[in-house]
Amino acid sequence: MGEKRRSTSKTLGKNKRRKGPHLPNSILKTIANEKRPLNSDEEDDEIDSDDAIVDLYEYEEGVPEEESRKNNRYDPVVNYNYELPEDFEDENVESDDDDEGGNSDNEEGEGDDVVRHTRMLQAVTGMPSAAFDGESKRKPVLFTEAYPESEFNPTRDVLEGKGLLTIDELMAPIEGKPGFNELEKRISRMQKDAQAVVHAPLPKPERERLERKAVKGLVDKEFNKWVHMVKRNREAPTVYFNQNVSLGYSTVGAIASEFQPRTDFEKKMASVLNDNELGEAHDEDGAKLLELNEVSVEDQIKYRDHIAKMRSLLFRHELKSKRIKKIKSKTYHRLKGKDLKKSAMGALMDPEMAKEEAMKQEARRVEERMTLKHKNTGKWAKRMISRGLNVKYDGTRAAISEQLQINATLSRKMNSTNDGSSSDESDDEEELNDGSDQDTPSKLIAKAREKTLKTVEDDEVPNSGLLSLPFMARAMKKKNEEAIEGGKRALEEYEEWENSGGEENPKKTAVVSGRRVFGATAKVEAPKESRKDSDNFYDNSDSDNDTEGIENNDLGAVRDTASPARNTGAITETEKFDDDVENPASKTTFDVALFASGSWKKMKGCQNAETKKKLKKHVPYSKGQDKKESRDDESEDSESEAEEMVDGILTSASKETYEIPSQAELIQRAFAGDDVVDEFEKEKQEVLNQEVPEPEKPVLVPGWGQWTNIQKKRGLPSWMVREHEDAKKKRTLDLKTRKDARLRHVIISEKVDKKVEKLHTTTLPFPYTSKEVFEHSMRMPIGPEFNPATIVGSLNRPEVVKRAGVIIKPLKFEEANPNEKVDDEHPRSNQKQNPKKGGKTGKGQSKGKSKQKTKA
Amino acid sequence: MELSSEDNNLTEKFLPPIEQESDVELETKVKKYLRGEGANLETLKDKKLKTQLASREKLYGKSAKTAAKIEKWLLPAEAGYLETDGLEKTWRVKQTDIANEVDLLSSRNQYDIVLPDFGPYKLDFTASGRHMIAGGRKGHLALVDMMSMNLIKEIQVKETVRDVAFLHNEQFFAAAQKKYAYIYGRDGTELHCLKERGPVARLRFLKNHFLLASVNKSGQLHYQDVTYGGMVASIRTGKGRTDVMEVNPYNGVVALGHSGGTVTMWKPTSQAPLVQMQCHPGPVSSVAFHPNGHLMATSGKERKLKIWDLRKFEEIQTIHGFHAKTLSFSQKGLLAAGTGSFVQILGDSSGSSSSHNYSRYMNHSMVKGYQIEKLMFRPYEDVIGIGHSMGWSSILIPGSGEPNFDSWVANPFETSKQRREKEVHLLLDKLPPETIMLDPSKIGAMKPSRRKEKPSRGEIEAEKEVAIEAAKSTELKKKTKGRNKPSKRTKKKKEMVENAKRTFPEQGHNNTASKKRRIGEDAAAELPASLKRFARKN
Repeated sequence: MGEKRRSTSKTLGKNKRRKGPHLPNSILKTIANEKRPLNSDEEDDEIDSDDAIVDLYEYEEGVPEEESRKNNRYDPVVNYNYELPEDFEDENVESDDDDEGGNSDNEEGEGDDVVRHTRMLQAVTGMPSAAFDGESKRKPVLFTEAYPESEFNPTRDVLEGKGLLTIDELMAPIEGKPGFNELEKRISRMQKDAQAVVHAPLPKPERERLERKAVKGLVDKEFNKWVHMVKRNREAPTVYFNQNVSLGYSTVGAIASEFQPRTDFEKKMASVLNDNELGEAHDEDGAKLLELNEVSVEDQIKYRDHIAKMRSLLFRHELKSKRIKKIKSKTYHRLKGKDLKKSAMGALMDPEMAKEEAMKQEARRVEERMTLKHKNTGKWAKRMISRGLNVKYDGTRAAISEQLQINATLSRKMNSTNDGSSSDESDDEEELNDGSDQDTPSKLIAKAREKTLKTVEDDEVPNSGLLSLPFMARAMKKKNEEAIEGGKRALEEYEEWENSGGEENPKKTAVVSGRRVFGATAKVEAPKESRKDSDNFYDNSDSDNDTEGIENNDLGAVRDTASPARNTGAITETEKFDDDVENPASKTTFDVALFASGSWKKMKGCQNAETKKKLKKHVPYSKGQDKKESRDDESEDSESEAEEMVDGILTSASKETYEIPSQAELIQRAFAGDDVVDEFEKEKQEVLNQEVPEPEKPVLVPGWGQWTNIQKKRGLPSWMVREHEDAKKKRTLDLKTRKDARLRHVIISEKVDKKVEKLHTTTLPFPYTSKEVFEHSMRMPIGPEFNPATIVGSLNRPEVVKRAGVIIKPLKFEEANPNEKVDDEHPRSNQKQNPKKGGKTGKGQSKGKSKQKTKA
Repeated sequence: MELSSEDNNLTEKFLPPIEQESDVELETKVKKYLRGEGANLETLKDKKLKTQLASREKLYGKSAKTAAKIEKWLLPAEAGYLETDGLEKTWRVKQTDIANEVDLLSSRNQYDIVLPDFGPYKLDFTASGRHMIAGGRKGHLALVDMMSMNLIKEIQVKETVRDVAFLHNEQFFAAAQKKYAYIYGRDGTELHCLKERGPVARLRFLKNHFLLASVNKSGQLHYQDVTYGGMVASIRTGKGRTDVMEVNPYNGVVALGHSGGTVTMWKPTSQAPLVQMQCHPGPVSSVAFHPNGHLMATSGKERKLKIWDLRKFEEIQTIHGFHAKTLSFSQKGLLAAGTGSFVQILGDSSGSSSSHNYSRYMNHSMVKGYQIEKLMFRPYEDVIGIGHSMGWSSILIPGSGEPNFDSWVANPFETSKQRREKEVHLLLDKLPPETIMLDPSKIGAMKPSRRKEKPSRGEIEAEKEVAIEAAKSTELKKKTKGRNKPSKRTKKKKEMVENAKRTFPEQGHNNTASKKRRIGEDAAAELPASLKRFARKN
């Protein structure tokens, strides 16, 4: 029984899985039920219950033959390949032993080894077997030695140092040898002294572990002192470093007062400055100062000599220049002139030279353009480029680029007049465009003509600069002629356009061109003028709402009435223009243009005088027309109403007349609005379809998958149908989750605005982990506009407050109250600095401490 | 800490009982300044963040408290009110009665200015209420200093003026004229002609964004940045012409009322309307927004006035038998509606900020025949300006204006230097047009997820069930003899069900499994080492 038990316990140790081989399920369940509460409840009972269960299991378990070792058919397997955990205490086994009365001697079977071993130990040590009991208890039968024990094969106990090796044991072999007694005596004396058994030292890793543990405890203690401070600093909204900092001197005077002369010069200066005699002299009067201000004779002589030398040098230079002037040698002057020519100044100063230079330059340019000498067309350059050496070597590249540069400078065109003129033209165009949106075509044409005339006219040749050079002048002349011709052609074209565009007055177009232009414009202007007058009844002394008339010039009647006025204008013009007929063509055209504008102004004046009377006649007509318009248009009718009011008919009656048509309109509106709700719903559906589009219906490509009748019958493949249905489901879900899903009368757009997305954060900013907390913390504005002035400072204080130049010293230990709350109102200094008195930081620290205490 | 506690002691000791009662009032004010609840910090695991946020919250609380105290003790003026006793009704009180009661300065605010020649007048006040621009239909523009009643400048533009609006201060105003809109300077000089917009029907200026919004005759909405003149957006509303346009002062969203009875809300960065609401069956005649931006009043031609909650887009109240040509909310939330020659003022009688119940507060009828064109409450005064066909008038409405102005926001007594300073500040604080959105408090928050992140557990379960059912009910094909065994068929079916299950994430099971494992681990951890091997394995 005992043996069996031991063996089972061993197996238990070995195969941890510990499955009861063939227990019925019901029993297993009851076991489990029994076990669970006990496991969780008390530990004392645990063991017993475990025992019971172990018993149960043991009963069933069979022991494999090779493990039972009843017969030695199998090789003795050394079991120490399984090692129990370090802190393993097998209580079961212990309890087993207790049951058996703990007598290890009585153990039999394969326990024989143990018995033998203990006996041996007993014999060796002479200690009672109880001393080894513990050993056997702890590791009952784990070891079977493969070899007989000897000094070469020490037992495990000995190796691990657990066995107590006494000095007597060690002494045993040398007993009887000479000197043994002496040794024994000494040892016995030592034993008396120590009275203790010296244990073998622990193995190294264990020892080190223990050491580390001890050290950790100490370090923990040391570091835990800092925890509060660190915590306080971490959690403080602001850390201050700027208190009690005196940066030394306050004024310049303070700095100067501590000045000590060090160098020789400084010392000299100091001796002079601090001279008592000088000071006294200053204090008393200036006479003594003069005495002190003596100049030595040597200095005076030196000064005189210097001046004389300078004068003689000047004189010599003068002589030399005179001599040079007298030289008549041609070669000399030629060389000199060459020098002068070379300098750019000379070129600028002399017009002749400049001309020459320009010619030369032009020739060089032509040559360059012809030969392309510097465009890397040479043998060398080609070779370099083809081999890619220009990329490889800096020098080569530089050379090639230099050549190109030379080419560019040589072949650069001279400042041509073309640029200027083209820019002018573009400007003109811009001007034209500006006006164009409210101008009629005829007006446009007139304007264009005016412009061309102007450009044709001013063909002045500049008198200075590059343009004045003869070849330039020639070229310009040529160009001007061309331009003038072009201009003339353009003018003719304008005329043609006008003839085709203006339907009225075809006979007048046959006469001088200028006249016709203004006839046309007058046509446009006149009705407008009259119309405006009829509208407003204001003094039209300088009204500039020209465009209004154009909009309304479809009123035929008005135009008719205005036509006499226009005719008069035209007549006056013809008279004026007739005077200018004799003049040459181009000149006249220009003059006409100029003149015409003046005459137009005049005409306007006279026309005003004339038309004012006539206007009265056609006013009612136009008003009536306005009224007609008003029926169609809501705001227009209000305008007409306003007109009525101006006429002084502001009565309730007039209002009535206004409301009668509007009532009809109201009725119309009422009927029109019948299906407003339906329309809205339709619109909503549209918006929904747009924002949450309906999934496309699955379609097969015709001809695909339809070879046979069966395929055709089967219809769409199932995955297509499934996908379609999923998409549909998704859509309905999306529609349901919309904000306006339950509001029939509202459409809320859920389009994503990309610009708005920039105003949101895509990720939570660092310390935050939840969206809610972040958004709640963002709800309060912290600016001065939204908070009382007393709080703004603390709301916006930076994390670290530190004056420039303050040195941040490492944290110093101070007693901190762990329960202290961080209070932002009383800024706590993290350090007291006093750079001047380095030794007194401790004092500052203590001050801080006391302050802290009072605060807490 | 000490200080505040002392303060508390003081208040407790020395304040008379009435004052202690008013602590409740103070508390409500504190709540207002706290702008909502703080986050629940208990859920946070990061201790550092927790303490930092806690101290921040404390500061916020302090700030709110100080602000509330300042409001309570330091703000000098009290809002006006109309008190009646017994059977008297506030709406029976006439302007003449009020004139007898009020001080001289206030009584100066009751007047009619008769300008019969230049047609119905539009009005606009500056944000401070100091200046008014009046635009007569017939081209009369008048800039008036309302404090001194000085006519600063009067010009005649000689064409129809449809609307007028001040820009950021009284130095500039815009007028919608016959063909174009124009911007004029304080001295009446024409500064700009805004040709791009076409004939403008209504003009509104968005102060915080420096945008001049206008809707033209063809129903196009334009936003132009007046700081650099660029056209920020031009939107075709596609709803026909309208002359009902208002800006929500809270978020800068522009609302247009259309003839189909819809009100559409717009922002410059999107071509589609933010919101479309079917407010009335007939045409919408006017729209107005409460200054806090949560309420909107609309009136339709079918003689109904509706009040909407813009947070839920629901109708709060309908007032029948009233067709308002013009509507206006005052700073304190009174609603003025004008029709014909009759002005009605509605007041919120519920008194709480959450529920609203607008009912008659005051009436005023003009001389018969005057047609009211525009009503507008004057900011920081208990005055409403009435633009009508015979000039403009001003009457007293007690309790309409905010009694205390904040010089950070608007200062009626601004000096020219302050004005210049303010202008610079306004420009620096100018908001980009994309900040116009329905809920501007969302700016800076996390980007809203486009899709719903995860279907809920119940939904998943339901879907799973459906899938399993489908798998079970599938008909298996008939196979050849050897493969058609019932055992094989059941096996196949089981497999299909398993597959169907597998497609759904097993979050629930995973959770429970991990939980179980954890329990097991715990048990193992509790046991002594020797017993660990006996612990139940799961």
